[in-house]
Amino acid sequence: MRRPDAKVVLLGGASVGKTSLLRRYTERRFPDSVSTVGGAFYLKPWRSLHLSLWDTAGREQFHGLGSMYCRGAAAVILTYDVTHPQSLVELEDRFLGLTDSASKDCLFAIVGNKVDLMEQGREGNGGPHACPRSREVLREDAVALYKKILRYRMLDEKDMPPAEQMCFETSAKTGYNVDLLFETVFDMVVPMVLQHKAEEPVETVDITSQKPPKHTRSGCCT
Amino acid sequence: MMSIKAFTLVSAVERELLMGDKERVNIECVECCGRNLYVGTSDGFVYHFLLEEKPLPTGTAAFTATRQLHRHLGFRKPVSELRAASALDRLLVLCDSCISLVGMRSLEPVPSGARIKGASTFALNENPVGGDPFCVEVCILSVKRRTIQVFLVYEDRVQIVKEVSTPEQPLAVAVDGHFLCLALSTQYIILNYSTGLSQDLFPYCSEEKRPIVKRIGRQEFLLAGPGGLGMFATVAGISQRAPVHWSENVIGAAVCFPYVLALDSEFITVHSMLDQQQKQTLPFREGHILQDFEGRVIVATSKGVYILVPLPLEKQIQDLLASRRVEEALVLAKGARRNIPKEKFQVMYRRILQQAGFIQFAQLQFLEAKELFRSGQLDVRELISLHPFLLPTSSSFTRSHPPLHEYADLNQLTQGDQEKMAKCKRFLMSYLSEVRSTEVANGYKEDIDTALLKLYAEADHDSLLDLLVTENFCLLTDSVAWLEKHRKYFALGLLYHYNNQDATAVQLWVNIVNGDIQDSTRADLYEYIVDFLACCSDQQLVWAYADWVLQRSEEVGVQVFTKRPLDEQQNIFNPDDVISCLKKYPRALARYLEHLVVDRNVQKEEYHTHLAVLYLEEVLRQRAASGGADPTATETQTKLRRLLQKSDLYRVHFLIERIQGAGLPVERAILHGKLGEHEQALRVLVHELGDTAAAEDYCLWSSEGQDTPCRQHLFHTLLAMYLQAGPAAPTLTVAAVDLLNRHATDFDAAQVLQLLPGSWSVQLLSPFLTGAMRGTVHARRTAQVALGLARSENLLYAADKMKLRGSAIWLSDQKLCQLCQHPFSEPAFVRYPNGGLVHPHCAANRQKAPSSPSPGSRT
Repeated sequence: MRRPDAKVVLLGGASVGKTSLLRRYTERRFPDSVSTVGGAFYLKPWRSLHLSLWDTAGREQFHGLGSMYCRGAAAVILTYDVTHPQSLVELEDRFLGLTDSASKDCLFAIVGNKVDLMEQGREGNGGPHACPRSREVLREDAVALYKKILRYRMLDEKDMPPAEQMCFETSAKTGYNVDLLFETVFDMVVPMVLQHKAEEPVETVDITSQKPPKHTRSGCCT
Repeated sequence: MMSIKAFTLVSAVERELLMGDKERVNIECVECCGRNLYVGTSDGFVYHFLLEEKPLPTGTAAFTATRQLHRHLGFRKPVSELRAASALDRLLVLCDSCISLVGMRSLEPVPSGARIKGASTFALNENPVGGDPFCVEVCILSVKRRTIQVFLVYEDRVQIVKEVSTPEQPLAVAVDGHFLCLALSTQYIILNYSTGLSQDLFPYCSEEKRPIVKRIGRQEFLLAGPGGLGMFATVAGISQRAPVHWSENVIGAAVCFPYVLALDSEFITVHSMLDQQQKQTLPFREGHILQDFEGRVIVATSKGVYILVPLPLEKQIQDLLASRRVEEALVLAKGARRNIPKEKFQVMYRRILQQAGFIQFAQLQFLEAKELFRSGQLDVRELISLHPFLLPTSSSFTRSHPPLHEYADLNQLTQGDQEKMAKCKRFLMSYLSEVRSTEVANGYKEDIDTALLKLYAEADHDSLLDLLVTENFCLLTDSVAWLEKHRKYFALGLLYHYNNQDATAVQLWVNIVNGDIQDSTRADLYEYIVDFLACCSDQQLVWAYADWVLQRSEEVGVQVFTKRPLDEQQNIFNPDDVISCLKKYPRALARYLEHLVVDRNVQKEEYHTHLAVLYLEEVLRQRAASGGADPTATETQTKLRRLLQKSDLYRVHFLIERIQGAGLPVERAILHGKLGEHEQALRVLVHELGDTAAAEDYCLWSSEGQDTPCRQHLFHTLLAMYLQAGPAAPTLTVAAVDLLNRHATDFDAAQVLQLLPGSWSVQLLSPFLTGAMRGTVHARRTAQVALGLARSENLLYAADKMKLRGSAIWLSDQKLCQLCQHPFSEPAFVRYPNGGLVHPHCAANRQKAPSSPSPGSRT
């Protein structure tokens, strides 16, 4: 098995559609999927590189694994459900801390999934089967979160891709914007990886260069 | 989830053999090293067994254990861990927090009494950092709180090399190089004991479950994670494989590539590390130890020891293929790459790819099949042989054994479904045409091309012809029979031609044109045959079919002689032979002579005369047919005129005789002209034909390439002819004026003026006069300019000469020769244009002027 050149991690609360997004992108379909246990892994050849795509489990039970999955990640895709405002709040409260172990120049994308439901809610007004849910998260909220993340990571907005470019609204069910999301992220990761390769020809990872991770959110039992 | 049989569980040590009827005694730990199996019990005994493995034909094996020594270690405590260090011939026994060294066979403690005290558990470093082969690196979790110690253990002594403390109490450890993978009380960490730096992996809860830390390979560990996950982590603290999903209460885990095995209270589960899927579940109750030892997986209850025998990978793969699970089979095969010697692996993997390809093929998944055949370097004849009758009868091919698939032929594979069969054939066509030029085809190009020909012929495919006109290896006898069967006679001809049997080919095609056999491949087959013969270097063949082609069409048929490739033209056919052959076909003959005279520019009087006569006869025949009244020149007449004008070779007198009285004045004028009888020629044109334009034209082409006086002579002759007629013929007077005005420069004006009648007005001739004046003035001025230029050139030379003579040169006996630096003793000297003076003899010796003589000071 070829060693992947870079890692892209999907993070987000339970049932926001991380697995569905990945499967829509890799298998071009929208199957019923069960709650992810632990995590899953895809290898995606992209241009000259092999990227590993990590689908993580959103359930609280597996929260502790997130930090390890994010370690050294080149990009993190934070996913929320546009019909659940809480899922956006969780991104900041629960998941942002996990990204401390990601690569220093890690890219962030914020993805509001399930826009198909929101449209249904709008169009199906009054219909007996109309989905009771409707859009409750505005795109501006995601943009605000993106800017907050940059501040949290102490990154200059000028050096990072603009929020407008990194905040997506997708539907894994219809496929809307899914390719755009992944391909935009991959295309940004490629030059980063190539630059890293040029800078550090050493093969092995030096763990001494890692920041000691924060201990504020640890463990399920303590 | 579909399962696979990857392991079988066989008994290794029966309970009777171990402890007989001692009810309360339990197995506490197991170690296996080569054929040696050690068992530690709860009552402080170590048992030694020798294992004997008997392979069974089903792919598994049976084990019998023979009991060797056993020894009590002198503690009332259970033996909690055993580890063999075979290089030292030592067994490390952990009992009552103390690791003792005992001999592997004798089980006697080493005489030195070396031991490690205060260990709660320990691990051997299987990737040691020191290079010393006579020691092992042992890491212990100390009974002291939060302390880890690293020891070097020699044959009869131990040495501590490092002590590290941890933030929490460590519970389990595995070692790889400098890296310790530790289960602390709330989380797993990686700790570099050399630098002391640590890396958190993930939290877990030690109160809820026992941690598992298992080294699975270079720099990689397997850990029991939350929610029954088997988590993979590298020493860098990242996960490179997705987790496997175990049950919540896993007791032990082992690795036997490519599988991860886990033990819980009821089952042994087998997951693949390649796709993280669960592959097998074996019921196993009351198990409490699961460990792997150099690839051997041992599981034990408190009373008995069992071995999980892996089925050979190849068998597993074959099972997967047999149940059409191509994807999994390939993943497994690829995963096995590093566990099988390269050569063996390649052979095996190729075969698997080929088998997988046939499975896809049978499901009509042609794209996938093609890729698999290609990467598996399939002998394409395997595929061809599926199609009945495609392989040549002479082919030595036999299908590989054991067979790559279960199908006798396509009929069986498609169960007679014609549509599927057609799809298979189309696939084979495209596949063969792709591989025929690649190295896959080496060695059996005949088989491939013949098969392809058969497929094309059967499917009435256009590429049949492309195949036959390019380089191919179709076998003649097989292909002939097949093409005849499918009535592909034109293609058959091509095949004969490719096999240097042109005569057979042509005869076949002629038969098609004659309608004796039917093949509508080419509507223009006759023209094709003509082209073919024109390019055919076999003279006899051309002669044999010359009459046939000419009889069908003289104009087209003659191309067998006229359209021959340029490079061979000169030698193959003697024109005289051709001409005598063409006697019966006048139009063909004319074409051929035209070809000789015009295209090939053959300078032979006979051909030129013959052609002229043929043209003439044709013109006369046409005239006779149209009643001689047609004033416009026919095509043939134009050709005749052109020939008469351009060629100088034909027999003029002969033609003049033929042409007399035929009413062809223009042609007659040309002939007169050829004889130099310009006056007569012009007379014919002016008086007989009355065509002044033709006369003027005559003057122009006759004098083409000649000098001015010749042209002037012609024009003067014509002018004289016009003027002679006098005022009686006003048209000629007008012609004379026009001639003068149009060709002012072609006349000698002075001479003309004398000829002209005095009554003509200047106005009438003004264009002529202006032209003549301009010409004369121009000539004069040109001459003056030339004169002027010549004069100035002369002056320049004169000036140069003057300059060179220059001023006087004083020569005295003080002056030195610039070459030899001696004084001049005689008056003779040589002076270079740059002023240097030298002796005449020096100048003679030295051919060139001194490169930069210093300018001598003149006095």
